[in-house]
Amino acid sequence: MAKATQLNQRDIEVLVERARTGDRVAFGQLVDEYKDKIYNYVSRMLNDPYEAEDVTQEAFLRAYRSLPRFRGASSFHTWLYRIASNLAIDVVRKRKRTEPTYSLDEPLESDDGEYEREIPDDSGSPEDTSTTRETQVAVRRAIIELPEKLRDVMILYELQGETYEDIAEILDVPLGTVKSRLFNARNRLKDSLEELVAAGELEVER
Amino acid sequence: MTCEEVRVELVECWGSTEKLCAAAVAHLEVCAQCRYEALILRETHVMVRSLPAEQAPDGLTASVLDQIASEQAQPGWAARIAEMFAPARQPSWARAAAVGTAIALAVAGGTVWVNHSLEDGSPEQLASGQPGAIAVSSPAASEAELDELLRRHQALEMSQPLADDAGVSLVMYTSN
Repeated sequence: MAKATQLNQRDIEVLVERARTGDRVAFGQLVDEYKDKIYNYVSRMLNDPYEAEDVTQEAFLRAYRSLPRFRGASSFHTWLYRIASNLAIDVVRKRKRTEPTYSLDEPLESDDGEYEREIPDDSGSPEDTSTTRETQVAVRRAIIELPEKLRDVMILYELQGETYEDIAEILDVPLGTVKSRLFNARNRLKDSLEELVAAGELEVER
Repeated sequence: MTCEEVRVELVECWGSTEKLCAAAVAHLEVCAQCRYEALILRETHVMVRSLPAEQAPDGLTASVLDQIASEQAQPGWAARIAEMFAPARQPSWARAAAVGTAIALAVAGGTVWVNHSLEDGSPEQLASGQPGAIAVSSPAASEAELDELLRRHQALEMSQPLADDAGVSLVMYTSN
């Protein structure tokens, strides 16, 4: 089971118990502990920083509201991931209904007009030569074009570092389903990026 | 092993030959196409793993806690529904304004009535119990005014005979 980065499991349990009784300070500590993980996951799922922020915030709000019903049958972090996953999938499905030809290159529409889809430039400092921004954009594109069920597993396993068991719990699917989805996701990613890799269009550290 | 079997293994280990079984490794030595597949998978894995982690925006925790606080400050859904069906209530400032207006009207009304009473001096009005006649309870009727009013009433009463229907006979006895 993946552990939180700073607090140990016992600390988490104590904070969850305090938050269950309405202790907002304790809940704030839980948010601090998990916000980056949840945001990173949602951001990979949606590839839109604004929506990712909204969904992450909503995930924590729902978690707080639902805490009295959280019985600890699963770990807090898988429970939190499940809430975030459901919200992210809702957004993805809503997009499908409203944006049938969703493209990373097309501008997004909002009440204030159109705006360019923002892909964060987190390629790091100039010294960071492991990948170029172009590479990252291509990889993100390949991930976002995966069907959402494959994408979910791919992100949770490869980028979030979750175990097969935790992913099965988060997505409420059998372990075998997690493995088969991961297999298919890898195959699809390979197919998507094969042409680019083979053509030498991407700078990849070998 | 067949190419198909080897490629399943390659996908499961992202093309890493270190995790392949000996039979698959032996296959790769003689199959260029499978070696190419292994290479593409390894490169794909490197690219996926090299995506940097994104951090939550600053202020996200504060924003979540603010929203929780504002939700808790609001009444629950049951209270909100009850309020929708409750009679309309005036705000406190409106109630205060209404009380102030009532007092002002009472003061003005009392003053007008006292002045009127003092002018015509009618005792019937005093005894009639009409709203305006309750000058005693008017905050505008000072003690001096009331004394003056009573004095004039008594003077008027003494100057007039009692009515016949008063049921009272006034008999004056004189003694020698």
